[in-house]
Amino acid sequence: MTLYLLKRMAVLVASTAVAGVAVFAFMAVLPGDPAEIALGVNATPEAVARLRAQFGTDRPPAAQFLDWFGGLAQGDFGTSYVTSSPVGPQIADRLGVTGVLVLGGMAIALLIAVPAGTFAAVHHRNALGAAISAASQAGIAVPAFLAGILLVFVFAVRAQALPSGGYVPVAEDPVEWLRSLLLPWLSLGLVQGAVLTRYVRSSVLDVMREDYLRTARAKGRGSMGALWRHGLRNASIPVVTVLGLQLATLLVGAVVVERVFVVPGLGDLLLNGVAGRDLLLVQGVVMVLVVAVLLINFVVDVCYAALDPRLRGSR
Amino acid sequence: MRRIVTWIALGGLLLSTAACGGGSRGTGGTGAGESLAVGFVAEPANLDFTSTEGAAIPQALLVNVYEGLVKLGQDGTVQPLLAEKWDVSPDRRTYTFTLRDNVTFSSGAPFTADDVVFSLDRVRTDWKLKIKAQLDVIDKVEKKDDSTAVVTLKRPSNGFLYSMATRLGAMFSRTGVSDLANKPVGTGPYVLASWKRGDSIRLEAAQKYWGAKPSLTAVTLKYFKDATAMNNALLTGGIDVISSVQAPESLRQFADPGRFETVEGTTNGEVVLSMNNGRPPFDDKKVRQAVRHAIDHKALLDTAWAGRGQLIGSMVPPTDPWYEDRTGDRPYDVAKARALLGGKTYTVKMRIPNLPYAVAAAQVVKSQLAQVGITADIEPLEFPARWLDVVFKQGDYHMSIINHVEPRDMGIFADKSYYFRYDNPEFGKLLASADQGSEQQQADDLKKAAKLLSDDAAADWLFLFPNLIVAKKGVTGLPKNGISESFDFTGLAKQ
Amino acid sequence: MRGRPNAALVIGGALVGLVVLAALTSFVWTPHDPTYVDAAGKLREPGDGYLLGADKFGRDTLSQLMVGARTTLYVGIVAVGVAALIGTPLGVVAGMAPRSQGWLSELIMRLNDLVFAFPALLLAVMLAAVYGAGTLTAMAAIGVATVPAFARVARAATMQVMVTDYILAARAAGRRRTAIAVRHVLPNIGSVLIVQASVSFAIAILAEAALSFLGFGTRPPTPSWGRMLQESQELLFSTPRLALWPGLAVALAVLGFNLLGDGLRDHLDPRLRRVRAEG
Repeated sequence: MTLYLLKRMAVLVASTAVAGVAVFAFMAVLPGDPAEIALGVNATPEAVARLRAQFGTDRPPAAQFLDWFGGLAQGDFGTSYVTSSPVGPQIADRLGVTGVLVLGGMAIALLIAVPAGTFAAVHHRNALGAAISAASQAGIAVPAFLAGILLVFVFAVRAQALPSGGYVPVAEDPVEWLRSLLLPWLSLGLVQGAVLTRYVRSSVLDVMREDYLRTARAKGRGSMGALWRHGLRNASIPVVTVLGLQLATLLVGAVVVERVFVVPGLGDLLLNGVAGRDLLLVQGVVMVLVVAVLLINFVVDVCYAALDPRLRGSR
Repeated sequence: MRRIVTWIALGGLLLSTAACGGGSRGTGGTGAGESLAVGFVAEPANLDFTSTEGAAIPQALLVNVYEGLVKLGQDGTVQPLLAEKWDVSPDRRTYTFTLRDNVTFSSGAPFTADDVVFSLDRVRTDWKLKIKAQLDVIDKVEKKDDSTAVVTLKRPSNGFLYSMATRLGAMFSRTGVSDLANKPVGTGPYVLASWKRGDSIRLEAAQKYWGAKPSLTAVTLKYFKDATAMNNALLTGGIDVISSVQAPESLRQFADPGRFETVEGTTNGEVVLSMNNGRPPFDDKKVRQAVRHAIDHKALLDTAWAGRGQLIGSMVPPTDPWYEDRTGDRPYDVAKARALLGGKTYTVKMRIPNLPYAVAAAQVVKSQLAQVGITADIEPLEFPARWLDVVFKQGDYHMSIINHVEPRDMGIFADKSYYFRYDNPEFGKLLASADQGSEQQQADDLKKAAKLLSDDAAADWLFLFPNLIVAKKGVTGLPKNGISESFDFTGLAKQ
Repeated sequence: MRGRPNAALVIGGALVGLVVLAALTSFVWTPHDPTYVDAAGKLREPGDGYLLGADKFGRDTLSQLMVGARTTLYVGIVAVGVAALIGTPLGVVAGMAPRSQGWLSELIMRLNDLVFAFPALLLAVMLAAVYGAGTLTAMAAIGVATVPAFARVARAATMQVMVTDYILAARAAGRRRTAIAVRHVLPNIGSVLIVQASVSFAIAILAEAALSFLGFGTRPPTPSWGRMLQESQELLFSTPRLALWPGLAVALAVLGFNLLGDGLRDHLDPRLRRVRAEG
């Protein structure tokens, strides 16, 4: 297991480096010169050249990359071309917001999906199970932004119970913080919960058909008890995979939900960065997201190995 | 000739979805009568309008934080601000400004004629925007005494004083320009209190102000990328004012006069259907004229922008003294359009910015042009970067739609390298003579110029963008017409 | 494939069939020209030849929905096609690699992780934003973003299949690996892939809607349910039917594909039949 961990960590580091190159290359091929964009369409060529030199974007790409990546390794994301302020703190600010948004959404999703999915699997042949399946199907079918708009309509515009949007930092007012996040969490969590319910149901169903579970049942254990003792652990393997996969979806969902609820998160920062060709900012945000997902993968893989020794062996 | 340069970015940014979304709990409910939250579309990237384009910065800061010697009134006239009065020499080349006493910057430094010299010289030496060329007409700026500044022009110019009312005339402190991007220092009634990036800017009433103290202690500018989110914020009390309605059909939600008030006025924004005069088929005047006849402007305005706005027919907004209604020049007439096309059909690229009004109007234009045999393929480009690059800089387009919000911007048609690629020397002559002549001659020349544009069908003018503001009942002092670069908070009050 | 089709299969099939039917019909007939702007018919109420009314441009909603169905199918086919064609072989190869070729599996999965780690859907948004590329590019990008999902699911399923008795038997009998892959592995992971494909199809439809919401979706005036939803937003309170119909269309199409996937899974899965037979 230790060896496995070490190997896995080496892969993580290597992946991060490759990702850095890829991110930089992707940005480099985007059309639009940051200096020109910062100065607008009517800037004089000399002014553009001066600004380019000031940004350092007139140097060869390799030099720019080393500069940037070297800075990253020391936790320095560089200084934005557009806002002339350091990129790192901006990203950290927004990451906090999006992180809370995504994790809260995920928590709600899990709270819904695990019990509902398991129940639906155990009762997959009666009306109740079917009803849960149907409800989860309906939940998946609603676009997240539509769910958000409807939630706003019901809880904010009509009931005037919750704010229609905006974000209040927790340090400023914890109660308002919670109120401002409830609807965004719900619109992420409901839809995501519905998706996860399907996976939980299907993997619990799979497990229920496994020989060892049937054996357990044959030995006279109740099916719920057998499922609890043997099944959930195994059923959780695909669910953990999907959970990891869904995180990427959630991040995108977060962009849309951020837009609907006017939450100043990472997605919003990214789109602004793209619009303003704030290259360093965009690179920084994408890099943070990539590393976040790589880390999640790492954790998922380690969980995998811990949950199912069979899988560990085959590596 | 004074070359008028337009940064379209202004209009686009104002109207685009390309700004930061943001917002938090409204200040509307707290401390009645003390502060207001106003919703805006475009958040500034930074606070330095001397080096960064875009409407968002002067919109927030000009008149409110920075003041000029003069400002633009609601009726389109130039009015005194930091200058009590000014005298113009008989040859109209020397302007003597008499400055107000007791004016100080928010840093505490007094405002004197030295700052006038400093600020106007700085336009030439440090500003990075091309619009600074508008003040190239200045020969020299001198201090006569602490409260008198003299500006000498190279030649008479009707445009000079008007330019002084824009951001170009903003007065900076000699000790306050070290961090313009983050720390503005001006003489205005408000000072920057805080900026939550991606969310809001908070302005607070200045400790010491030379004029009437504003009745609000603070104004929060909240930024929304999404029109619906901004509407919802007003509906739920998150903000008190929508500064510019981006989805005019949604005004139905605010129809209750007991709760909301709608202000509708004009702007300087001509929504132009541009046609590339330098490329077939629109290098042919007849084809351009056919397009103007083929478009039912009334129907377009009714469907694309809920009938809000005004039909104009040329490049002059109604608040300019030389405005004439030119909508009758090329009335909607499908038969005439077909006749002008002579039975030919065309397929053209319509490359528009991905802004709400452009996307809406383009679909109507496409449908109407199809009736006369012109197929327009709509291609929305990301605004600002992509559209500016492809259409504006490279001129790689047949048709486009954009709101030219710059004040008094007819001169862009005089520049044949401008993306319209309109080339008529006669037009340039009219503009040059207008700038140097008397006021009467200026008006006469500009009327002729506007007619010439319309006759040549240098472009088509879809409609004049409306100034649409919705506010909670009880908010007063909202500007009816959006014709200056700033959103003036000085008269704003809450009952 | 014996046994009666289950309810999910029937309902899902019917819903998807409806979408396909609407799309196909729209090629030959729609009640009105879906893009014709008619100012006089602005926000026309339902009835009088306009079954579902008209939008603010006076365009017939039903005609728009029908042509929008085409866009929906197009979007799903491109995205799922790209993902399945690339992801499945990668996943199967990685899952089947014997211990001696652990590096191969490792390499595939690490690259996979890397692709996956890119917020590719965000990149799709960025690409669409930057290049104004329209539906095809954005959808292909969403397809690429879904590759890792397919590969992972295929690999996980393959690995589970590889330790089952019949594969062990086939391997013991000296069957070639490609043969095992095609004859034993693919059919046995098929159900998992179908579920994944159905989910991905649905996700692609939802992604198109989300892109449209952000303003980067299908180019106007080509009708698309996503853009109809986006355009109806400003009228949500005054004319909710404009949001209702495309919203319902998106929901039913997504529901249809998900149900179809579920139904097929239950119908095709031999193991499940065995369980049923026992029950």
